[in-house]
Amino acid sequence: MIQRFRENRRLQGLLLILPAMFVMVTLLVAPLTLTVITSFGQRDADGNVIYTFTLENYWRLMGFTESGWDDLYLRILLRSLWLAVQTTTIVILMAYPLAYFIARSPERRRNFLLFLVLVPLWTNFVIRIYAWVMILRGQGVLNSMLGGVAGLFNAPFQPLDLYPSQTAVLIGMVYEFLPFMILPIYTSLEKIEPNLYEAAADLYANAFRTFWRVTVPLSMPGIVAGTILTFIPVIGTFVVSDILGGRQVILVGNLVQRQFLDARNPPFGAAASIILLVMTLVLTLYYTRRFGLGEEIAAG
Amino acid sequence: MTKRRIWGVWSILLIAALLAAACGGGATTQAPAESTAAESGSTCPEPNPRMEVTSTQLNLFVWTEYIPQETIDCFEEVYGIRVNKDEYSSNEEMYAKLSAGGANYDLVQPTDYIVALMIRQGLLQELDKSRLAIMDSLDPNYLDLPFDPGNRYTIPYQAGTDAIVVNTETVQTVPQSFADLWNPEYAGRLVMIDDSRAIIGATLLTLGYDVNTTDPAQLEEAKVKLAELARGVKIFDSDSPKTALIAGDVDLGIVWTGEAEIARRELPSIEYIYPTEGAILWQDNYAIPVGAPNLDAAYAWLNYSLQGDLFWRMLDEFPYTNPNLAALDFARENHPELYEAYMNSNITNTPPEELERGHRMEDVGDATPLYDRVWTEVKGG
Repeated sequence: MIQRFRENRRLQGLLLILPAMFVMVTLLVAPLTLTVITSFGQRDADGNVIYTFTLENYWRLMGFTESGWDDLYLRILLRSLWLAVQTTTIVILMAYPLAYFIARSPERRRNFLLFLVLVPLWTNFVIRIYAWVMILRGQGVLNSMLGGVAGLFNAPFQPLDLYPSQTAVLIGMVYEFLPFMILPIYTSLEKIEPNLYEAAADLYANAFRTFWRVTVPLSMPGIVAGTILTFIPVIGTFVVSDILGGRQVILVGNLVQRQFLDARNPPFGAAASIILLVMTLVLTLYYTRRFGLGEEIAAG
Repeated sequence: MTKRRIWGVWSILLIAALLAAACGGGATTQAPAESTAAESGSTCPEPNPRMEVTSTQLNLFVWTEYIPQETIDCFEEVYGIRVNKDEYSSNEEMYAKLSAGGANYDLVQPTDYIVALMIRQGLLQELDKSRLAIMDSLDPNYLDLPFDPGNRYTIPYQAGTDAIVVNTETVQTVPQSFADLWNPEYAGRLVMIDDSRAIIGATLLTLGYDVNTTDPAQLEEAKVKLAELARGVKIFDSDSPKTALIAGDVDLGIVWTGEAEIARRELPSIEYIYPTEGAILWQDNYAIPVGAPNLDAAYAWLNYSLQGDLFWRMLDEFPYTNPNLAALDFARENHPELYEAYMNSNITNTPPEELERGHRMEDVGDATPLYDRVWTEVKGG
């Protein structure tokens, strides 16, 4: 028996993947199946789920309600998408120069710089977002500073009304996800062989051309990986918008969370989360087909 | 594998781990369970009576900012029991988590209208009065109410009102009714508790309807009217609406008793206005869910934490209307300034005429989905 097991590579392989399979099935496949089933159900008056088959929840999300057309939920979906696009774009623009700077630093200093990028993540995420409330609020750090500067020049100063608002949510998201863009871009920039730059210079490419034709294409895997690591969480998160939006900026994540808790309508929440899932999946597939699946993703 | 490659793999793994940690944030809070009472030198009152307890843990599911840390520390010290605390900020949230099953809480703090629903759903177990010596300390005015006749399932914790809070220093025209809040002058300056029944209830009152209406047409009308107000609400916050008031982010709104009282202590220009339509009255209670794993600890907690020489702290830290006569007596003798402040405040000591004209929320049964939907649609836009 043991002899047979020693020789049977297939069986060994199967045994090795069992723990991972177990986790995938119990923590991913089973809950997802349950969510799909629930999304076709209904709620009763007390908020319990009745398992039937109805498309009502999906119709309602699309805007077809029994009382007529209502694009409320479509607007929430669009708002979330738009915010995710904005966040990702700003994060790429901010992360790229920094990653480039780190990748071009002397080798000894790089690890220290990367360490600095990661330090803020040691503090709990929710606490860091609350810190932004302190900074952005009407009589907060930012306005006191601006007011002080304006006072020095005797300039009239109108305090910025940033908290709570959608802009505050955007700031919070950018802040939160910046490191997740810096690291993959850094990784791909750092891998570029210096010979290539020399070759480009030999062939009379100027600095801009070298950057555009050599650096950017070779760092594309990092950008793709960073985009996926940013875009997908942003589109589903609800904590940042709850705190910095004063519970007035409603994203898909908030919609889902509230349907499961405050609104006691799990089927509708399940349907919304399935729509979110499908939307994310389609966008990710398109994106990775278009720009190639980054090695950084495959490694993770 | 080159050294660089290894670093790349590591950084991705790190990102994945951090991402997982980031996404998990914000759902529940775990109280630090280490006993600090002994270290800080405060002496905890003896439990009276001291109960026989074999459990080693107690799982509380309670409102945010509603139990003094000293009470938890003392209970842990006196009984040697670890207290785990999960918090919620709306009755609906608590109900959803409890009715989904799988929770193993020993005590919850439902408000009146949700108590009736929880009893109907069989989520609560009957209390054993022989193990609740503390019942004798409670004000009979808060006992035997319609949502739980004879207090078979609940005992009162604290009570209060939903009314208007206003910073008279920044607001020129002080609102006198819920209807006044629709004044365009207030747009963008409002804070509201994120509480569907309270805010929809206040809107129903401005339309002249009952806070417990089950008429879909009236609720539809309320939805349209409330959507108008909601656009001018700067912050919905049930955890700590006082913070935005004190920081000056907002100038007025609808909040709970305790939040208004603390805000006024910080900022004397704050006033609490009972609206001409009548305020919304409520009462929070302790109840034991069916299947509570540490029943003996739950009874020990009820008797000890509500004891007068411990519960008086509520007057200081979470000043709502206190139905605990023993706590009030203790405060009068040992902390007269707190007692005076409590008795003389029109916020904590609700005037009798306001109790008279106030409105109590009830379980609305089959109309519940209508309320939930109005709230979703009002706040979604």
